[in-house]
Amino acid sequence: MKFKLITLLIFVFSGTIAFSQSTKLSGTVKDETGITMPGVNVKIAGTTVGTTTDMDGKFSFTADVNETSMLNFSFIGFETKEVLIAGRTTFDVVLTTKMESLNEVVVVGYGTSTKKEFTGASGKVMGDKVEKLNIPRMDQALQGQMSGVNISTNSGSPGGSSSIRIRGLSTFGDNDPLILVDGIVYDSEGLNSLNPSDIESINVLKDATAGIYGVRAANGVILIETKKGSLNSKPSLSLDYYYGIQQPSNKLGLLNAKEYAVIKNEMFANGGDNVPFANTELGNGTDWQDAVFENAPMQSVNLNLTGGSKNTRYSIGTSFYTQDGIVGGDKANFTRYNARVNLATDLDDRFTLNSVFLYTHEERAALPENGIGSVLYNTINAFPNVPVKANGTYSYMEEVSDIINPIAQMENIYNDALVDKVVGKEELVFKINDNFTLTNRGSYNYALVDNKVFSPLVWFGAGKAQNSAINANLDPTLVDIGDSTFIERGASVYEARSTYVDLQYEGFLNYEQKFNTHHSVKATLGTSVFRRRGQQLSGTAYNIPNNSEEYADISANLAPGGFLNNTGSFEFEERLLSTFLRAEYNYKFKYMFSTILRRDGSSKFGPNSRYGYFPTFSGAWVLSEEDFYDFAPINFAKLRASFGISGNDQIANFANRALLNGEGVYVFNDVITNGVAIGRSANPDLKWESTQQFNIGVDANVYNIVDVTINYFIKNTSDLLFQPDVSGIIGSYGPGGFPPVINAGDVTNRGFELELGYSTDPKKDFVFNTNFNLTTLKNEVVSTPDGVDFLPGVTFGVGGNVATRFEEGFPIGYFVGLETDGVFQSQEEIDQATVKQEGAKPGDLIYVDQNGDGVISFNDNQDKVMLGSPIPSLTLGSVLNGTYKGFDLSMNLYAALGQEIVRNYERQQPYANQLDYVINRWTGAGTSTEVPAQTTGSTRNTEFSDYYVENGSFLRIRNVQLGYTLPKDFTQRFKVQSMRFYVSGNNLYTFTRYLGYDPDIGANGGPLSAGVDYGFYPQARTFMAGINLKF
Amino acid sequence: MKNINIIKTLFVSAFMLVGVYGCEKNFLELDPPYTQDAENYFNTEADYQQALIGAYDLLQASFLNVWIGEIASDNSIAGGESVTDTKGLHEIDEMQHGGENNELRSIFRWYYAGVARTNFILEAQDNLDFTSKASVMAQAKFLRGYYYFQLVKFFGDVPLVIDERLGPEGASSKDRSPASEVYAQIEQDLQDAANGLDWIVAEKGRVTKGAALSLLGKVYLYQDKFTDAASTLDQVISSGNYSLVSNYSELFTVAGENGSESVFEIEYSGLEGGGYGCLICLEGNAAPGFHGIRQYTGPVYGDGNSYNLPTQALYDAFAANDLRRDASILDIDAFIAAQANPADITYAVGGGGHTGYYNNKYIKRQGEIGLPDNDLTSPVNYRVIRYADVLLMAAEAHNRNGNDGAALTYLNEVRGRVNMPNINSGGTQLTEDIWNERRLELSGEGHRFFDLVRTGKAATFIEGFQENKHELFPLPQAEIDLAGGNWDQNPSY
Repeated sequence: MKFKLITLLIFVFSGTIAFSQSTKLSGTVKDETGITMPGVNVKIAGTTVGTTTDMDGKFSFTADVNETSMLNFSFIGFETKEVLIAGRTTFDVVLTTKMESLNEVVVVGYGTSTKKEFTGASGKVMGDKVEKLNIPRMDQALQGQMSGVNISTNSGSPGGSSSIRIRGLSTFGDNDPLILVDGIVYDSEGLNSLNPSDIESINVLKDATAGIYGVRAANGVILIETKKGSLNSKPSLSLDYYYGIQQPSNKLGLLNAKEYAVIKNEMFANGGDNVPFANTELGNGTDWQDAVFENAPMQSVNLNLTGGSKNTRYSIGTSFYTQDGIVGGDKANFTRYNARVNLATDLDDRFTLNSVFLYTHEERAALPENGIGSVLYNTINAFPNVPVKANGTYSYMEEVSDIINPIAQMENIYNDALVDKVVGKEELVFKINDNFTLTNRGSYNYALVDNKVFSPLVWFGAGKAQNSAINANLDPTLVDIGDSTFIERGASVYEARSTYVDLQYEGFLNYEQKFNTHHSVKATLGTSVFRRRGQQLSGTAYNIPNNSEEYADISANLAPGGFLNNTGSFEFEERLLSTFLRAEYNYKFKYMFSTILRRDGSSKFGPNSRYGYFPTFSGAWVLSEEDFYDFAPINFAKLRASFGISGNDQIANFANRALLNGEGVYVFNDVITNGVAIGRSANPDLKWESTQQFNIGVDANVYNIVDVTINYFIKNTSDLLFQPDVSGIIGSYGPGGFPPVINAGDVTNRGFELELGYSTDPKKDFVFNTNFNLTTLKNEVVSTPDGVDFLPGVTFGVGGNVATRFEEGFPIGYFVGLETDGVFQSQEEIDQATVKQEGAKPGDLIYVDQNGDGVISFNDNQDKVMLGSPIPSLTLGSVLNGTYKGFDLSMNLYAALGQEIVRNYERQQPYANQLDYVINRWTGAGTSTEVPAQTTGSTRNTEFSDYYVENGSFLRIRNVQLGYTLPKDFTQRFKVQSMRFYVSGNNLYTFTRYLGYDPDIGANGGPLSAGVDYGFYPQARTFMAGINLKF
Repeated sequence: MKNINIIKTLFVSAFMLVGVYGCEKNFLELDPPYTQDAENYFNTEADYQQALIGAYDLLQASFLNVWIGEIASDNSIAGGESVTDTKGLHEIDEMQHGGENNELRSIFRWYYAGVARTNFILEAQDNLDFTSKASVMAQAKFLRGYYYFQLVKFFGDVPLVIDERLGPEGASSKDRSPASEVYAQIEQDLQDAANGLDWIVAEKGRVTKGAALSLLGKVYLYQDKFTDAASTLDQVISSGNYSLVSNYSELFTVAGENGSESVFEIEYSGLEGGGYGCLICLEGNAAPGFHGIRQYTGPVYGDGNSYNLPTQALYDAFAANDLRRDASILDIDAFIAAQANPADITYAVGGGGHTGYYNNKYIKRQGEIGLPDNDLTSPVNYRVIRYADVLLMAAEAHNRNGNDGAALTYLNEVRGRVNMPNINSGGTQLTEDIWNERRLELSGEGHRFFDLVRTGKAATFIEGFQENKHELFPLPQAEIDLAGGNWDQNPSY
């Protein structure tokens, strides 16, 4: 011990004790194949004295050296080499490539680590893999690329969003991870603005080591780095272009006009009504899907300049992207312009300035989606016997009030959003000495969002809810403004302008030191100050001239006296103040230990829980470094474990406070007089949802060619936000009063993750590499507070039963309803049944009596059971790449298994069109045991049951791409470094038994709406051709 | 050199951290912009006035305690569509009620909501000085006194929450206070209210000094504090501000609202619709519609839900020549027979019971019908304290103090208005006579059950009434559980 201490002292003071003299040092650095290496850092070990090699791999500098001085050679991707100077002055050094995968940099938040030494569970995807898919949103491109990260699509429309779920769902609230782009908070809703081509890498912190982000880390953290240049490299200009055609990947099997007429006649007859079609020989009629769907173009241009001088690295990019929709064409267009400057300058040998600037302008037109009244809902339910147009006007479907002509609908929708977004940071890195680095940065995220919705006077037929005119002549409604004075209410325009500004300051000190060669210590201490502010001003104006979009602006308002016009606004602000500490210790790269503590103070929480402490502990043991380890096939093996507590602060602002939005009304002088009263009661103790996560994992490398990562995790989330019954003495039950929001309820997620990477020797002619990942997930609500049996989710059909729930013992948002057991074949069968099913007729679905009381209870929960879950129990992803000389071929696969989908896009209404499975309906004893008889009469068949729940498992070929790169010696004649052509197909085929358009369904209305298909806008199948040029 | 840099850096960092944390508290203290919330409220006089309106709102819960005060007594049965229609009322009718009773839970929740709204104001009484402050605080204290009086009448010992708002955990820290302490608080509040209120107010619906003193007198009477009751009620009588309305049968019409006999009246309006989903949200009085004749088509009345039906015993308690009988009780068959075209008048009998009688004081009448759904939106005010009640309470207090002379004067003033002969008894017979007079004068107004309990007569008159049990209603079991299970249930439940 004493000896060690002395050694340590000698080590620390060796630089000052030893006798030194000035010497000129020079030499050449080459790689294993004998090629000279430019840009290699060469320095005297333990000092900052040194240089970098020039274009020919040569270096030369003068330094004070003594007999113990060493020369240190380092270069990214190569093993660092130290050579004893020992009086020599010239050095020819060969650097060997590192075992790539193990030295891969892992971005961990306020610092980096390597895969070899990192003690947590993370995933990483390089930007090129994301870019290659030609998908405009980073999150969608991430689907199937890594284990534990489940992406599902909320909408396939251009600019539509996805749900990102890292290790399951922890809450019925907000499950979105924290997304940071170069350290700047980037909301998942705002991901449209981020150009995937600007991304260098995506790191996902999945386990408790995300806890460095404390109260925002419970849903995982995604760290995105944008492209950077490198020092001493020539400017390189790349130009990428592609053009694609999108088409619907799938059409539903719907009834044609003849089938429709026959079945409707039968339905009306069964219901005891007159049949609507005297003649059923109507042929095929209108195929509304053909009328609505179209082939839609998309294209993208991307320009990127990257390089570096001696002191400055830069990467500058600009891009243009535009995409029409397969439904709506340019009425569903998404267009984006991006500009990016990423600049890093060494101001002197101590100070580096990193500057990132991202600008986005985007325009999105949107149609109603995913619900009653959406274009596809109308398309599916429109009558096939009715033409799109008759006598030059769009036909009506007057028998049903909420199904309108989808073509007429699209023509009358003007819904545009414009976003201008400026995101950036200025970061000053002060390298104090070899051990300490101080980073200070300020960042901003400014978004200006303009919305404009023009609602013309429109007539879709008598009785339609969507009509804004009172007749086909488009006469406006008359509005009574008092004293029997009427004014016209014409076309209207709604405009809103919102601004969102995030400002953030972060300062942190990184410390790194090696003691006695084997002990290395790293530490990070920092602080973060964050402020977000949002404002909106909106208004509606009426009587826009000529019923025309041309004049659609509030300034064109012609409504008399401003009686109709209205305005609105909101403003909010949130603040976060944090300190964090991370300490890491590593002995010989054999034993590693890391601990994190973050303290967050947030304006979102009550005064009694304003500050939270979030600790994390993690450790690793590299088994293969042990002396006794001699299992040759596995040349690297590491065991990891982590445990920590993090939070989810995505709760409503001021939910801790009592707002005066209750009802306080009394009658004075016979006049109803408004006062105020507390609405929701206060809860000053209200705090974040808290997640404890345990992870155990293995990283291994087999024969130097296969990388294996295995993780098992248990993630327990507690303190979910509820509004259960509270004691009456709190006073919450007056008119307009609600109980306070409290922290209660628990959810657990458990899962297993496997990632395999395989690559052949990259220097051969034929190279093949593949990644495979697998994730299992079990999600369960462990408890709900007293007085809350379950939280109801979305309803089935129009005004139907609650179909999804948050309930103890079940997955979040599971489907609950009646179980069916075939179809009653005869009255005799009904009479003899031991279970009484009220109103049952032959041809009706047979329900299962779950509680065994001999009666099917339609009005309560006694006979309802779990019918499925929207959460896949197993997801698989795989990427395959092969190159042979100039050719490259890649394929991207994704599968989600074990989830169910609710078929909720069928309007249960006599005249609505139907899926063609009803052709096999029950029409008499023995005709069907699955599809009930069709009737317009009263029936229990429309109760929510497993009849409407389908297997949602699927396997999708997401991308196949074939490219050819022209030979370098050929292209260099035209000063082109590299030129590649490719053809590519996205979403080529999906293996599934799901009847709807697309089984890859996210959650458009929160976690309790997941897996409910309302006529979801499907993802297109896309064929693309593109070129990549590098100068 | 190295060390100096480190020191510099650490110094700068420390400075930075101190800088940040120095203003940390202010940095995180945000108020919701442009929104009034409970924390940043009470900055102007208007704020207090607005909150006071919110505190008055819970008075409109009174329809429910009127029902229970009658149905629990020998005056009426629950009625309604079936015995499971508002099951809690039927259980109370049968004296079968227990800790699971939605109507009793509503009473508990609503009146505590009222208490909380008054506490919200009184908690902030020192925030600001303003012209109407004395009046606002007096009104708030009156309301709190009234709400606690309902709670103590129904449940006996109840937790006292005074001048504070409770958080979600606050309930479990509150024990039930003995009824005597609750009464002491009510007396204090009502005395303060009486001191701060005027006899005459400009705005119809505002509480008055007379209302506060009358309620205080009643509170004394409920505690057998006859001396205090007598002196307090005498102040009301001697003020000369009140007199009996000559025509008893017009007392309960819309036209008769806020008349000379009205001491404390709860205001309703027919100008706002409503739904069954939230009875406490109504601005109309739900009682008249619920009391109405089921599926009735005919003159004078409107159709209703046949709740709270008077009993034969009550009908028989009246002398045949007492005009209060027909003013209080509608004998439906006799009424129909007396109409011009009896055959055209129809009505239905509910499965919840039928006595042939309807509450004729609070009943849906043609011309007093609110907006749809008009079963819920009656504009008829509830007369909480009439001058006749004040006179009878004063008579009772004086009689129990041994001052039968004053007692007889007051009693006979009430009888004289309906042309009933004077009573000349004394002592305990006079006490009995006064109690009987209360039943006749005040039937259908929600007093009977509580009068029977406080006079110790409940077991005599109410079938199924168990002494030492039914004097109090049970605390809702759910409320016991939600408050942490620390409260004992009332005896024998």
